[in-house]
Amino acid sequence: MANIIVFGILVLLFGSAIVYIVKAKRSGVKCIGCPHSGKSQCSCDDQVVNFKL
Amino acid sequence: MKIALAGNPNSGKTTLFNALTGSQEKVGNWAGVTIEKKFGTLKSKYNPTKEAIEIVDLPGAYSMSPFTSEESITRAFVVDEHPDVIINIVDATNLSRSLFFTTQLLDLGIPVVVALNKTDLLTRDQTVLDIKGLTNRMKCTFVKTIATKTQENGLDALIKEAMAKGGQKQATPFQVPDEALKAAQYDAKIAETQDRARYDFVKEVVRSVEKRQVENRRETMQDKVDRIVAHRWLGIPIFGAVMWLVFSVSQTHLGPFLADTFVGWIDAFYGVVEGAMGDSVSPLLSSLLLDGVIGGVGAVVGFLPLIMVLFFMLALLEDCGYMARVAVVMDRFLKRVGLSGKSIIPMVIGTGCAIPGIMATRTIKNERQRRTTAMLTPFMPCGAKLPVIALFSGAFFSDAAWVGTTMYFMGIALIIFGAMIVVRITGEKNKRTYFIMELPEYRFPSIKRATLSMLDRGKAFIIKAGTIILLCNALVQVMQTFNWQFQVVEEGMESTSILASIASPFAVLLIPLGFGAWQLAAAAITGFIAKENVVGTLAVVYGITNFIDTDALELVSGSSSVAEIMGLTSAAALAYLVFNLFTPPCFAAIGAMNAEMENKKWLFGGIAFQLGTGYVTAFIVYQVGTLLTTGSVGTGFIPGIIVVGVMIVAVIAMMRRGDRMAVPKPEAHLA
Amino acid sequence: MVGLFANAFGLKTRSERPTSLESAAIGETYTINSIETTDSEMKHFLFTLGCFEGERVTLVSVLSDLYVISVKDARYSIDRELASAIGID
Repeated sequence: MANIIVFGILVLLFGSAIVYIVKAKRSGVKCIGCPHSGKSQCSCDDQVVNFKL
Repeated sequence: MKIALAGNPNSGKTTLFNALTGSQEKVGNWAGVTIEKKFGTLKSKYNPTKEAIEIVDLPGAYSMSPFTSEESITRAFVVDEHPDVIINIVDATNLSRSLFFTTQLLDLGIPVVVALNKTDLLTRDQTVLDIKGLTNRMKCTFVKTIATKTQENGLDALIKEAMAKGGQKQATPFQVPDEALKAAQYDAKIAETQDRARYDFVKEVVRSVEKRQVENRRETMQDKVDRIVAHRWLGIPIFGAVMWLVFSVSQTHLGPFLADTFVGWIDAFYGVVEGAMGDSVSPLLSSLLLDGVIGGVGAVVGFLPLIMVLFFMLALLEDCGYMARVAVVMDRFLKRVGLSGKSIIPMVIGTGCAIPGIMATRTIKNERQRRTTAMLTPFMPCGAKLPVIALFSGAFFSDAAWVGTTMYFMGIALIIFGAMIVVRITGEKNKRTYFIMELPEYRFPSIKRATLSMLDRGKAFIIKAGTIILLCNALVQVMQTFNWQFQVVEEGMESTSILASIASPFAVLLIPLGFGAWQLAAAAITGFIAKENVVGTLAVVYGITNFIDTDALELVSGSSSVAEIMGLTSAAALAYLVFNLFTPPCFAAIGAMNAEMENKKWLFGGIAFQLGTGYVTAFIVYQVGTLLTTGSVGTGFIPGIIVVGVMIVAVIAMMRRGDRMAVPKPEAHLA
Repeated sequence: MVGLFANAFGLKTRSERPTSLESAAIGETYTINSIETTDSEMKHFLFTLGCFEGERVTLVSVLSDLYVISVKDARYSIDRELASAIGID
């Protein structure tokens, strides 16, 4: 009996993890667990320009 | 309704965007990058209507000329996407420059409302601006704002004005005759003449509306500070001291203090679950739940407080404006290896996460520099590598702060070294580059912003732990429990498990590096999925359930137990740490590299370079370390030195070939 | 150009006045008379900052290789090459 409960818990954990990952990948998230995933971490805008001769 | 935000870099545009939309993108007070358009919805407290108002944050630009590619993003957007109104954020302390862009925006025919930002600094500098005069002469409304304040910041008035103006016609104060405009697109000289006329107009406007007390050109207190902070030689130790401070607070003092309580809960939870299951659950399932899930994930999550404290401190650092000076200090050295100051930005972003750092290389014009930077950015230890650093500095070096700091400096050293090698291989060692960077004012960092950023990061970490790391650990647990016949592996026969048989061949390669055990090889391999997995996997394969002692405020439960279990000398441990830090990053980061390289040769070359670097540095650390501590070299010295030797010779050969191809050094002052 | 050349060898020329920002005096404001570079993109970028012939530039401080300048009330850090490309009166 206890076995089934534990098994169920494990399935739940792994299942939701997999579901989350699949959903995220579908919506184009590049890196799971990266905040503002897909975007620049520091959104301070600027162009530090550099030119070559 | 669609509102576009445009303005000069460092004008406070992103602060304004965050204030209006509530999204917590990080704001830094130094030169960074907004590459893509950022969208957000106006917060309801500013939006009296029922319909959603979309706000778009455009890349910071100094002008909208057709000549440079970055600025054309702004132009393209404004022309193609038809915003209803443009809010132009202008830094009130340098109207002379800022209004140039404003006049160009006004030419587009879309209504413009100007947010005159940083007006608190005007008061501080005792500069007086005639707002009415400005509004009249520029033919658009100027609204005073202080985007950094939470209340009474002028945003209400700003949005009201923007909504009122939406859809109306916009008069332009500075008219460029149509023929000249057309001609200007093809002839640079004509464009220049027009631009000069534009600047003259701006000068006239500013002269009539601005009264300065403090000459901006004189050296201020901030400049004096810069003299020291960005000093040629002093700048480096100062930077080192700052980083050391950040590390010691997050890993030796505050961090472990918080982690201690946290891990106590995890431990207790483990105990409860263990008790609840008792004997009634099959050992397989029970170990999967206890050691694989709770133990493995718990080991990683135990580091959450450390990571959050670190990110908090980094956010403060970025916010105060110091980082721009760091870029200036590092440019000297980067230039010598063919990179530019621009390359430091991805690397600093990379201390958080390598992926946005690599994406930030998109703005580097020079292809080689961009690719080199993308390839070297992962050498800066990212947030995911922190648990690994913390684990090893705790288990083998009693939490000494020097371990972490050394890893960062080593990262910098490897980057410089790597850049040098690459620039010689490609034969471009004599290419000259310019460097120019705007130095924003220092400002007191916002605790609120740092806290929000820290919480954001924390949440992301937990999500990552609950998904990827969870699955990986479970997989590792299963693979270590069974052998290929799907029988449970006996005690003492672990080396017959699936995991062991897969990892062992790799482990052989790692013998000269001091850590040729299959467990360590397996952990390193799982590190490619997520670097935190190194810690998780180690916890699972060695059956360690906590790395943090709940009694003493120490990071590790008596350093001897973890160290003994792993069976590593401190030299080998350091080598293992170095190996994991400086090999190719997680697959997601490699994916980002692929996107930036746009060239398979560079991509695989980059990965090979990273592998080689990890191997060679680990080898050196282990062998030299063992030599120093025991007086003789470590295991596998001969085969190791052969492998390393071959790699080095190959690289030198490529460098020599590149040198032969190189163009001779250009003469100075050729005009 | 002679002045620049002589400067490179450390010789003093007849006139002590600096010809480019590289040899300018700290705290002084100058008028730009030329931007000496073949890199038109750079020249144009400088232009958008307000750094072109006829405009004023101040050398705020020098940190060995890096020059902090003020143009149109904004501060920038530039390297020696760029400083030597900004010709002044």
